[in-house]
Amino acid sequence: MSGADRRSRLLRLAAGAAFLALAAVLVLIVITAAGSGDGGDTEIEGKAAVANLLDGIPQRQMTLGDPEAPVELIEFGDLQCPVCAAYSEEVLPEVMETQVRKGEVKIDFRNLTIIGPESVGAGAAALAAGAQGRGWSFVDLFYRNQGDENSGYADDDAFLRAVAKAAGVRNLGKWDAERAELTAEVEETSQEAANLGFDGTPSFAIKGPKTGGIKLLGFPESAAELEAAIEEAG
Amino acid sequence: MSRLSEGTLQRAIAFVAALGIGVAAYIAIADANSGSPVCLGGGDGCETVARSSWSHLAGVNIAVFGVVGYALLLATAFFADDLARFAGFVLALGGFGYSVFLTYVELFKIEAVCQWCLASAILMTILFGLCAARLIIYAGAPGATPERA
Repeated sequence: MSGADRRSRLLRLAAGAAFLALAAVLVLIVITAAGSGDGGDTEIEGKAAVANLLDGIPQRQMTLGDPEAPVELIEFGDLQCPVCAAYSEEVLPEVMETQVRKGEVKIDFRNLTIIGPESVGAGAAALAAGAQGRGWSFVDLFYRNQGDENSGYADDDAFLRAVAKAAGVRNLGKWDAERAELTAEVEETSQEAANLGFDGTPSFAIKGPKTGGIKLLGFPESAAELEAAIEEAG
Repeated sequence: MSRLSEGTLQRAIAFVAALGIGVAAYIAIADANSGSPVCLGGGDGCETVARSSWSHLAGVNIAVFGVVGYALLLATAFFADDLARFAGFVLALGGFGYSVFLTYVELFKIEAVCQWCLASAILMTILFGLCAARLIIYAGAPGATPERA
């Protein structure tokens, strides 16, 4: 084969390879973009209600309220727990509207996973949202969109991503990258709760100037009971 | 106007490929040490990208594939025959295409930019240009350096 023939053949092959590469890159991008990763197909309810409830209250990691508040109320919860969800909708909002907004108390959410292993992935996703200042938004929205216990929804990537997106997590890539590593923290707080003697959710503890360390509240059944405990602690 | 000699193109390919090996090796070593590359300009983009699920392919850090790709490109710079010209072009084309895809992933899926990955993408783009120029200008030409026996 002459040099000219070889050249012509090589350039035709190169053009074909370039065309195939271009097509492959385009297909990869289209497949990636169409993936279920953005959670956009999952309907999340209660966005407006949660946004109104938490509007103007500082969120830092998993703490809601003024970081300088003298009293710290600690809630141990399981995101799959229906009682926690009901408590979050019916009891805690009253405390948030009064004592939290006034800067008298801050509420710290900690995972106590008792329902099943799916709660660990869900809890880690909440912690990753907390790292971007949207922890309580995530928890409250998760509660309002709970499914059946251990039915596969609680650690489903698309569902968690949709909750994170609805909660206002700005950097979903960072959130996704961090949540896997936060399962250890979920297990740590579950152990912490067990060490305190808690075996049900939600369970509460409180720390304040008058408690002399951590004081166990267990399960205060009403907002009034919770408010009284906060008053006493401060 | 005089055209670029093949030897000049080969030296340029070797130089850029060596830089690429350095960048990819740094990312791979950082990952192997259970860490992540440090973004020189600050920020946590490198850490975010390194910790994302996109940073590994079949359990292997993609920077390892980068080291292998750059090393093969470096090897093609030492020969001046059609096989080396065409192999260099195909390798650089594959690396360039994958770099485009990874940059898309960084910007639109991970939503973070790793300076080291960006540096590698730029080096691979330069290599693609050099290898394409080498093939277009010298395909079919006798080697500037002795061909293999």
